[in-house]
Amino acid sequence: MGDREEARETRDDAFQSFVIGRWPRLMRTAFLLTGEQHAAEDLVQSTLEQTFVAWRKVGSADDPEAYVRRVMINAHARKHRRRLKEFLAPKDDSGLVREVADTGDRIAQAEDRSALLQALAQLPPRQREAVVLRYWEDLTETQTAQAMGCSVGAVKSNAAKGIAKLRAIPGLAEMVTHGGRK
Amino acid sequence: MSADRETNQTMTDRDIALLLADAADEVEIGIAPYQAVIRGGRRRRARRWALATATALVIVGTSGGLALAGLRGGDGGEVTPAVTQRATQPSTPEERHVYTPQQTTLAAGIEQGETWYVTVDVWGAPRTEAEAAAQLRSMSSHHEEPWDRDNSSALVGKITYFVQRAVGTGEPELLMGDSVSPQDTMAGTDLKSGASTLDPKKTEGPQRVVVGQVAKTAQEVTCTWKDGSSTVARRVEAGADINSDEAAIRPAAGSLDNWFVCVGAAGTAYESAEVTK
Repeated sequence: MGDREEARETRDDAFQSFVIGRWPRLMRTAFLLTGEQHAAEDLVQSTLEQTFVAWRKVGSADDPEAYVRRVMINAHARKHRRRLKEFLAPKDDSGLVREVADTGDRIAQAEDRSALLQALAQLPPRQREAVVLRYWEDLTETQTAQAMGCSVGAVKSNAAKGIAKLRAIPGLAEMVTHGGRK
Repeated sequence: MSADRETNQTMTDRDIALLLADAADEVEIGIAPYQAVIRGGRRRRARRWALATATALVIVGTSGGLALAGLRGGDGGEVTPAVTQRATQPSTPEERHVYTPQQTTLAAGIEQGETWYVTVDVWGAPRTEAEAAAQLRSMSSHHEEPWDRDNSSALVGKITYFVQRAVGTGEPELLMGDSVSPQDTMAGTDLKSGASTLDPKKTEGPQRVVVGQVAKTAQEVTCTWKDGSSTVARRVEAGADINSDEAAIRPAAGSLDNWFVCVGAAGTAYESAEVTK
């Protein structure tokens, strides 16, 4: 029993480190997927709760990140399958753009972000997932396919369509052309 | 953050990656809610019944918990009955309803001008991992998901059911679900129940609908409400009329137990439920 208790404590410690260490990154990914602060928090918390349940298996796996990504993408996809209302785009000043625009550059930057998030929100969920995983998470097509539970071909197709749609949005295309960065 | 793209859109792709990174920085990271994650994770692990909207779950056993029909040998191992029913059981997964559930309406009524239904979908037990994987996909297409949805092999040999409530034209909401061995039948005054609201817009509203599972032998369930009133559900035959004014215990296709639904009057809420006969 002592050994088992010790093993459990070790697992708990490892999970705590995992949660604290991955939380910021997971929040950013969830934010790009959901477009909303609270939805992102809910998605990450739910994902980590499910990870906790399977931690004995996940924690000893080679790539726990892959499991977590899969859970998160499944949860995101499921939400859309059930057609639950999702607040994807920033709607008012209580949402995404919290920065106080005190200079012209900062206003422009906030507008850039808002435009990108709105553009992302207009993508179908699978295209958004493919774009976020490929271009923000920087996953390979194979890793993205594993996370999305689909073929590499489907990833290529969804990512290409998603990016093409983003490019077709006038404001975003211009922003991309000019870099839009500081 | 840039990906290694082999297209002539390299710059554009990199810029998109940078834009995404910049947008992602807008989120407020906050402190990882570790304790809340642990609490939520333990709840998920502990409850085999998924209660999406029902917030009260009661499991009552007669003597030391739910009866298990499977016998135990001297070494604690499960004893296989000497005579199996395999020869008489349907052999194909389709015949066993592995890929398409059997649905039974347990109760219906009208609330604030909207019709509501409580239904139970019962999925037959897959015999192999391949059948279980196919069942999981089929469940997904029905917007149903077992507790351990990432582990289809956990479904092998188990009947899975989902109790849902639909109001008006809205999407059905999962009230409870479970995957159980066919040997895990209820007996005596065993009872599992969950209570929920009838208002689809207020999941925290008064819990006026109680759905539960009892032994085939149970003849009467009494639901008691917080205002002191009670509703008695009596056993009816399969296919008996569904009358919202009359609570009933009824069989559900594919289920080894019977089911009851009680509805409380407006203004009151669930207090308790028990098998009284």
